[in-house]
Amino acid sequence: MAEITPQDLFVTDFAVREHRSLWVDAWRRLISSNTARLGLFIVTVFVASATLAHFFWTYDAKTDLDYALKLKPPNLRPTEEISTIHPFGTDKLGRDIFRRTVHGGWNSLRVGLVAVTISLVIGVLLGLLAGFYESMEITQGERVLLQGLVGLSLGGIIAWIGAQWVIALLFGLLGVLSIVFGKFLAGKPVRIALFALGGLLIGGGIGLLGAPMVGLVCGLLGAVLGAILASPLTGTFFSNVVMRAMDIILAFPSYLLAIAIVAFLGPGLEKGMIAIGVVGIPIYARLARSAVLSVAQKEYILAAYSVGEGHDRIIFRHIFPNILSPIIIQATMGLAGAILSAAALGFLGLGAIPPTPEWGAMLGDSYKYLSSGAWWAVLFPGLAIMFSVLGFNLLGDGLRDALDPKLRV
Amino acid sequence: MARYILRRLISVIPTLIGVTFVIFMFQRLIPGDPAVAMLGEHAAPENIARIREQLGLNRPLFLDRDSLVQGDLGGFFDSQYVRYLSRLVKLDLGNSIHRRIPVAETLGLRFPATVELALLSMLIAIFVGIPVGIISAARRNSLIDGVSMMGSLVGVSMPIFWLGLMEIMLFAVILGWLPTGGRLSTGVQIQSITGLYLVDSLLTWNIPGFVDALKHIIMPAIALATIPMAIIARMTRSSMLDVMQEDYIRTATAKGLAERVVLFRHALKNAFLPVITIIGIQAGTLMAGAVLTETIFSWPGIGKWVYDAILGRDYPIVQGGTLLIAIIFVFFNLLVDISYAFLDPRIHYD
Repeated sequence: MAEITPQDLFVTDFAVREHRSLWVDAWRRLISSNTARLGLFIVTVFVASATLAHFFWTYDAKTDLDYALKLKPPNLRPTEEISTIHPFGTDKLGRDIFRRTVHGGWNSLRVGLVAVTISLVIGVLLGLLAGFYESMEITQGERVLLQGLVGLSLGGIIAWIGAQWVIALLFGLLGVLSIVFGKFLAGKPVRIALFALGGLLIGGGIGLLGAPMVGLVCGLLGAVLGAILASPLTGTFFSNVVMRAMDIILAFPSYLLAIAIVAFLGPGLEKGMIAIGVVGIPIYARLARSAVLSVAQKEYILAAYSVGEGHDRIIFRHIFPNILSPIIIQATMGLAGAILSAAALGFLGLGAIPPTPEWGAMLGDSYKYLSSGAWWAVLFPGLAIMFSVLGFNLLGDGLRDALDPKLRV
Repeated sequence: MARYILRRLISVIPTLIGVTFVIFMFQRLIPGDPAVAMLGEHAAPENIARIREQLGLNRPLFLDRDSLVQGDLGGFFDSQYVRYLSRLVKLDLGNSIHRRIPVAETLGLRFPATVELALLSMLIAIFVGIPVGIISAARRNSLIDGVSMMGSLVGVSMPIFWLGLMEIMLFAVILGWLPTGGRLSTGVQIQSITGLYLVDSLLTWNIPGFVDALKHIIMPAIALATIPMAIIARMTRSSMLDVMQEDYIRTATAKGLAERVVLFRHALKNAFLPVITIIGIQAGTLMAGAVLTETIFSWPGIGKWVYDAILGRDYPIVQGGTLLIAIIFVFFNLLVDISYAFLDPRIHYD
């Protein structure tokens, strides 16, 4: 009798579903939706055409100029007058708009991508930390670090006034000291008084080396800082500082702030990327923080905590993967918004410096010729902006449906 | 509730201080010497000195260490930042560099034009967006839902300046029905009462004036309304869909109430809160969107002025305009938060 191996007994068990990971599952749901497929298609077309054009279709914007072909309407076959084909027509300098639109995609999409990366990385990191330390007990080591850093940075202001860099170091030390001696000096008023006195001595004493008035100002500020440092700062304090800073950026309508920043910095693609990126930070910070706050209550975090895993490991191995879906959705939608903002900057003359092709700048270049009937110079770059933004929005919508756990069966 | 409102009002103060600080720091972003950047490389030294004096650039930013060393504590009260704040309190936003007129005064003069445009856009956005959202939610997954949601997605994806240009092309250049820009045709007079031409012309019963003003405002208003309209429609739909899954909606339907009654009396009332939020946020954003729309349509409001100032590197105007718009934005957010206290009895604030 032959031996029966487990393989021989293999029968499909219909009760057990084929194992799929979260991402495979999400991907299947994504491509099963018509709108998401459409979005994916549009995004792929734009990204592929821009990338291929950038690397394989040479275009030198600096030498592209032909007044003989100024503002010619689109022609799909060569005529006697125009021997070359211009499917999108030509602009005020006789440049082929089709070529510039395809090449412009590289710049427009790049601005969007870099801007979103800036907001994403900084925003998510800040939000992760803020949310984590709001819901978790801060460890002794981190407390020393936080206290020392706060002492050092706020002490830096006093040091700047007093022109003695030692002051900042001493305040950093004072911050650390408050952790160490916190246990021995139980009475809160006594501790605050002692640390205020310490701050007064550090600021005033060293400041006096400069001049009496410097000593007075530094001493007063030092006393206040000492009093702040006396009670160990909590994670909530850190979170509050971060989120209040975010609130200030959010107090501006986002792309107005970007426009204003670039208006002062001067035009340029890179400056536009930075401005749009900085302005977008608070959205990701808020999103990440609120996601962390809900995840941090879960049992698996408690479990990781109880087996003694460090905070860094909990944050990046356990929390981060679980807040990824809303961030991915927001990033896709954010790309759409960033491309729109970049186009607005370009249109206002604050983005790409001519003759670099960029969709917004192309519109800004040509819109004055609209009244003389040159509709093609305005129509096609605008369509490119609209369809690429639409593509990312559709994809974002599809991703939300695919990744939203509420809809999972 | 009074305590909540008071606390929310107080919380605006640090935000406003932060906003003014950010705008103050703007001029630090100018590469090189701001005075040279404003006047150009070849400006006369005495002009540069005048600008430096006018902007207080020869003063320290915050705290003058040198004057502290000399025992002069007053140095702080004469720093750029304190000067800036004290001027702000007096509503003095500085002077335009090129035209040497006070920024605040001109902002005040041009403000009604922007308000009129933003108000009309908001009305269009609300009166189109909310019904579209309700119909889409009521006929979920129907053709009408698909079309309007696709339409709203296109609306959100539309660069409004491009939409404005397309409107001009179609209605002004090709069809010739509407003027390409401006606020009134030359020769048309409207007696100013509120500064809003549509309202003023009706108050004085100036029908030709009203028609002319309407012809000028309709294209920019629609362009500006597109994005908020789309966002309001989407928000109304999703909020309605959420509410319509509630038990009390099923109860209302089950006891035989007409669909209209269930939709408007039961669902809409409860779905309104997030819609209000989004309307408030959009109202602030509209003011910012004015920069692009007003530029396209040469609308003589704040946005167009700020755009011209950006081109002319007239920084005090950019600062003043940004500050005004940011303050309005903060104010609208405050209004939304406070309206919660009145609109949602389920939430207790104390």
